Parts: sequence; C-alpha cells; structure tokens
Amino acid sequence: MSALELKATASQPQPRPPGDRPRPAIRAEGLSKRYGSTLALDALELAVGGGEVYGYLGPNGSGKTTTIRLLLGLHRPSAGRARVFGHDAWREPVAAHRHLAYVAGEPFLWPALTSAETFEFLARLHGGVDVAYRELLVERFQLEPDKKVRALSKGNRQKVQLIAALATRAELLLLDEPTSGLDPLMEVAFRDCVIEAKERGQTVFLSSHILSEVEALCDRVGILREGRLVDEGTLQQLRHLAAQTVEVTFAGGAPRLPKLAGVEVQSAGPNALRFEVSGSIGPLIAALAEHPVATLTSREPSLEEIFIHHYDGSGDRGRR
Amino acid sequence: MRTISFLYLFALYAYTQAVGYRDGYPTLADRMGFARTFANNKAVRLFYGEPHDLLSVSGYVAWRVGGTLAIAAAVFGLLAAVRALRTEEDAGRQELVLAGVVSRHTAYLSSLAAIGIGTVLLWAGESAGFLAGGLPLGGAMYLSLATASIVPVSAGAGALASQLAPTRRMALELGGALVGLWLLLRVIADTAGGVGWLRWGTPLGWAELLRPFAGAQPLVLVLPAITSVALLAIAGRIGARRDIGTGVLREHDSAAPRLRLLSSPAAQALRSERASLLVWLGSVGAFACVLGAVAKSSSTAGISKSLNRELGKLGTGSITTPSGYLGFTFIFFVLVVSLFACAQVGAARHEEAEQRLETLLSTPVARRRWLGGRLAIAAAGAVAISLTAGLAAWVGAVSGGAEVSLAKLLEAGANCLPVALLFLALAALAYAIVPRASGAIAYGLLAVAFLWDLVGSLLGAPRWLVRLTPFEHIGLVPAQPFRAGDAAAMLAIALAAALAATWIFTRRDLTGA
Repeated sequence: MSALELKATASQPQPRPPGDRPRPAIRAEGLSKRYGSTLALDALELAVGGGEVYGYLGPNGSGKTTTIRLLLGLHRPSAGRARVFGHDAWREPVAAHRHLAYVAGEPFLWPALTSAETFEFLARLHGGVDVAYRELLVERFQLEPDKKVRALSKGNRQKVQLIAALATRAELLLLDEPTSGLDPLMEVAFRDCVIEAKERGQTVFLSSHILSEVEALCDRVGILREGRLVDEGTLQQLRHLAAQTVEVTFAGGAPRLPKLAGVEVQSAGPNALRFEVSGSIGPLIAALAEHPVATLTSREPSLEEIFIHHYDGSGDRGRR
Repeated sequence: MRTISFLYLFALYAYTQAVGYRDGYPTLADRMGFARTFANNKAVRLFYGEPHDLLSVSGYVAWRVGGTLAIAAAVFGLLAAVRALRTEEDAGRQELVLAGVVSRHTAYLSSLAAIGIGTVLLWAGESAGFLAGGLPLGGAMYLSLATASIVPVSAGAGALASQLAPTRRMALELGGALVGLWLLLRVIADTAGGVGWLRWGTPLGWAELLRPFAGAQPLVLVLPAITSVALLAIAGRIGARRDIGTGVLREHDSAAPRLRLLSSPAAQALRSERASLLVWLGSVGAFACVLGAVAKSSSTAGISKSLNRELGKLGTGSITTPSGYLGFTFIFFVLVVSLFACAQVGAARHEEAEQRLETLLSTPVARRRWLGGRLAIAAAGAVAISLTAGLAAWVGAVSGGAEVSLAKLLEAGANCLPVALLFLALAALAYAIVPRASGAIAYGLLAVAFLWDLVGSLLGAPRWLVRLTPFEHIGLVPAQPFRAGDAAAMLAIALAAALAATWIFTRRDLTGA
C-alpha cells in the first residue's frame, strides 16, 4: 500500500454501527493446546459477538496468553479450532488478521526504530491506519515519537504498541494485559480509548488480571482457571451466582440465630454479625425481624470476590 | 556447551593432523619435498601461518595445527567474553545478579574465572590430542600453550568491546573486526616478503613467534600476558564506572523519523541488517584485495607428479601459479560467505526468539512471505559479498602485477554461491525444525563440512565419505573449470531444503528464547 492510499484511508475512518455483524467476532470450539505434558488450554468454548467488550480473566499461567496465541494463529491448536470473523485462525491467519489488531502483554518492538518509525512500519503491514486518530492518541498518551524504542521505558513501549493497535481502527482488538506497565493516568486514557472503540462498534477482547479494569469496561466476563473456562456471563449474572455480604449491628449483644440454608454466619464485633448469603436473602430478613437490628448494610460481591471465590477451590461448579 | 564443542574440535584436530602427517609423509625425503614446494606456498600460509620446521611430525603439527587453532582460540575468547560480559546485560539478567548481594567487581572476576577455566580446558584438550597423536609431553603442552595464550588476549578484546558497545551484536562486530585485523596482519606477515616484523603486532603472530618445536622462545609469552591483563583491567575499570545497560559508545536515543525501508517485512529486515552487511562487504573486500595483491609472488617452480598427488590428499589442487593460488584462497571465501548465510538465518531466529516476530505476524503478513523475504535478503547479501570478493581480489591482483582477468575472478566469486546457498537453506531447515538449536546445528554443520574437507582425505577415509562435504565439490576457479554439474546439484538441494523449511515453518508454533 502506498503512502497516498494510507492517507486516503486515514481521512475517511469508517465507523461501524454496532450490532450489524452476523458472524461472531471470535468463536472457539473445543480449542485445546498441549505443550509437552502440560495441558495449557482445555476444550475452550467461546463466542464473542461483534461490538462486545469481553473480559478474559485469570491468574498468571491460567492460559490467557495461550488463548490469544491460538486466536492469532501463532501457535497451532492441539484440538478444536478458533475462528476470527469466520476465518480459521490457524489456516487463514492473513485473512483473519485483516480484521484485528493485537497488543501483547510485553512490548516486543524493534529497538533501533523510533516510535514514529514503528508506527509507520506497523501501519504499512496492517495496510492503512487512521493517522489523525493516531496523532490524537500520541498526544493523549504523552508519547515522544522521535525517541528510539530502545530508549523507552517499558510503560512507554507499551504505549507505542497500544497506539499502533488502536490507530488501525480494526474491527477486533485483541489486548493481552495491555495496561501492564502503565501509570494510573495512562490507565484512565486507555479506558477512554476502549470506551470509544466500543462506541464505534469495535469488538474488544481484553485479557487481564486487573479486576477493576474489567469491571469498568466489560460487557461480559469469562474466568479461566488452569486452562478451563470455569465461569462466564455478564457481571450481573456472575454476581447473582456468587454470595452477597450482609452486615448487621444490633442494639445490645448479637443474638443467636437458627441455622439457615445457604447462609454462613461470622462474628463481626461484640454486637455485629456478617452473613454470606448465596441465593435468596428472604429467610435471613425474616429471621432478623425478631431481633433489635440497629443497622443493616448489604453489598453485592465485587468482581474480586467472585474471582477469589473461583480460586479458593470451592468455586468450580463442575462447569467446563 | 560451546566450550565442549571447542574442546572436541581442538583435541580431534590436534590428533588427526599429527597422525595424518606421519602416515602421509613417512620419510625424510617426502617431507623435504613437501617443505620445498607446498609449505612455502603463500596460499597455504594463509590458513596455517609460517612454518619453522617441517622435517619432523612435531614441527609440521606446530605449523599446521598451531596456525589454524590459533584462529579458533581467538574466536573462542571473543565469544566467551562477550557472552559473559555483554549478552547477559543486554538481556537484562545482569541487573538481577547485581541487584543481589554480588558486587560488580565480584561479578566481573567470576566471569573472568569462567573464561579462565575454559582456556585451561582447551589447553588440556589440545595437549591430549597431541599426546594421543604421539608427540612428546613437554612439546605438546608448550605448543598447546601457544594456542591457548591467545584466548586471554581475545577475551580481553571481547571484554573491552563489551564495555564500549551497548548491544551484544555491536560488541561481537567490534571484537570480530579486531580479530579479523589480527588475522590480516598475520597473513600479510606470513605471505608478503620483508614484512615479517608485522608478526609482532598481532597476538596470532605471537603464537608463531613462540616457535614451538623449532627453537622455542617462551619469553614471547610476556606479550600476551601483559596485553590481556591490560585489556581486562581497562575493561574492568570502565565496567565499574558506567551505568548498567549502557555502553561507552552510546547511540543517539532520538532521531527524526526516516521512513525508508519500512514498506514490508523484507524491507525492514534489510534496514536492520544494513550495517552488518556493510561490515561483511568491507572486511571481505579488504581481505580479498590483500590476497590478490600477493598472488603474483606465488612460486612458479614445477612440482613433480607424485608430490602433486600428495598435495591432492591434503585437499588442494595445483597451487603454485597465481591463478592456482587464487583458486585455493577462494575456498576461504566459500567458508566466509557460508558463515554470512548462517548468520542471516541466525538473525531471523533472533527476531523470533525476542518475540518481535509475534508482533509482526499478528498483522496480515503470511509466514511464508516473511521467511521468504529474509532468505531472499540473505541470498542477495551472499551474492553481493561473493562478487565483492571477486572484484577486490582482481583489483589486488592487478595492482600486484598478476595477469588475471576480471571475468575469471568474478566467476571465482560466484563460485562461492552454490555452497553458501546450500548452507543458507540447510540453516533455514534447521531453523524451521528445531528453532532453539538452529544456530548450533548450522554453524556445527558448516565447521564439520569444512574441517572434513581439510582432514578427511588425510585420514584415508573412503572416497565417498570424503565427498560428502560440499567443499569437495567446488572447482577451484580460476585454476580449474567451474563445476556446473555439482553446482546445479547443490542448488537443487538448496532449493528443496528452502521449500521444505518454509513448509515446515508455516506449520509450527512460534518459539520464544
């Protein structure tokens, strides 16, 4: 692609209305990857719709990066298949890559190129980017484009990658822990960019272990543990399935309550109790009605609690 | 791992040469003839240095083994020092070590100790090879010491280069240029008349001046001792003062964007290999020019048929005319261009090991296109270097007064290509199949093929076994005709291997370091 064409693409960014894509952006069917004796990914079933922001959660070594490498066709699946906008990720990587941009967890760039040169190179490889948006991003992320990559800190190299990927305006953004190394201000800038991308109808696959980020941005969340997707759904669905916390203080000493199904009781002070309730809160309210309740607070579980719930060993509800 | 490979090389080479000469030239008369015609030839001195005494097995071995292993020892010291003192830092691991309770001083000294152990191992290995070949103990150890004495000096050069250069690659290029200069000085001192004193200016010459088995001059050992201590001390001093992760030669951290050579993966690869390609072209050109310039002074004395046959055994042709001499020296360029080809595949592998290839291949670029582009650049670079060698040798030869045509020497240059392209394709195949071990396999294969050509026939191995090495299939252009059939066969194998490499590479996982 010539520089002229690049400019032409740049002057007319093509926003896509959300929801007008029949094919799912990402589809994984029985996707598995084995490295020697380690099963890194175990029969993953995944469907991410066009225009969706999908949070992919899991601790280190749970298979997040493996999933992304399979989606990019960098590694070959041991079983199953992955599709990106209908293109087989392994067999037709070039066709699939025309629809996506990728940000790796570690910034792997060419040390001798400056940021501006890196942008140009990656833009040529991708075949056209939104130059005006890229300039806006350079300003927003406060990057010095004339500095060589070798002289940049890890956070700044991460910015180079992010800007290059976002400026493609690709239909799908594959982001592997994109904010590692960014300072809190830049993290805010990053969130703004994801929200903009979503408004334009772009699909975002956000692998992360920063729960607040996922909570703030994602429509749906999948939780990965030891290569298996152990839970998936909207945040509300996940909350519903997890326990919520109710804290009660009493006028006078805390009473002894009868044992209730689905309710765990802990002492929270001389005249206070904490209840972990899974399922309906009704029976607990009925039981409390007979006692002198001074204050009652209830709070939905944070994503962190859902997450920890899945990793303390009791959270696997037998789902694959 | 690498030390062990060098150890084998030293021990085996020492052994085979000693045994080979005893069997090949059993009588004094044989050896007299050998000394008169063969050993005084400039082309042979190019590889092996200056002979002092060829009438005994020991004297022959001192010349033949000492000269070549001296070069290997210089390479070993350089590689070991850069690996310990720059590669670790380049990769960020040194930072972890120094963040612990280890001081810079201790870290430096322990790196040097490791190199020291490697040196002693090589000394022992070479001595053992000579002993097995029937040399006396004292002489074997002294001769090996002459070789091993080069290691600390080249390690000192490597240590200094590691302090000056901010990256591993630049350190290797700096150090390599210095070792190349040492070799060039030795070659000039050994081949051109009246400049023998130049030997004092190069550590490779000092090893000759030690005169093992020919009136030993152990006092010369003072030179490598002083030089290596000085180099290592300077390097240590710089290392203690500079910031970790930097070098004295700092490149500019900022630059106005230069957007040329960024339009495709191949263009960008050319951009990143440009500097190193220029270094190769420059050094090959300089070397070829010097070798061409001394072509005229090749001995033209007739040699007997029987001796010619004996020379054939040593893997050489008729080398007593300028064109014969040039034909023989171009074997050296076949080796050099093949090394370049392997290094290019190494650069491609480095791109993958550093995971930049993941960034590149996540864009709409097919793997086939990327690897094809890299191989095309490597092949084009090999063509450029080969023709430069031919051209520069012609310039040198003509200025030295020899009558050789430019066309013939360009043909000699092009004659390097079948073997070089074969090794390019084989290296690519190794890269596709076993990425992590590909460098060791490619360089190992090349070294074995070349050494087998030197010693195979000497050992009396069956003809078919000797002919397995591609180096046996080169016509010594311009003295001999270009062997079109062999060249076509090698190119066909190269093409098949390159296609197989591409096919396999598109079917495997990308593999990090």
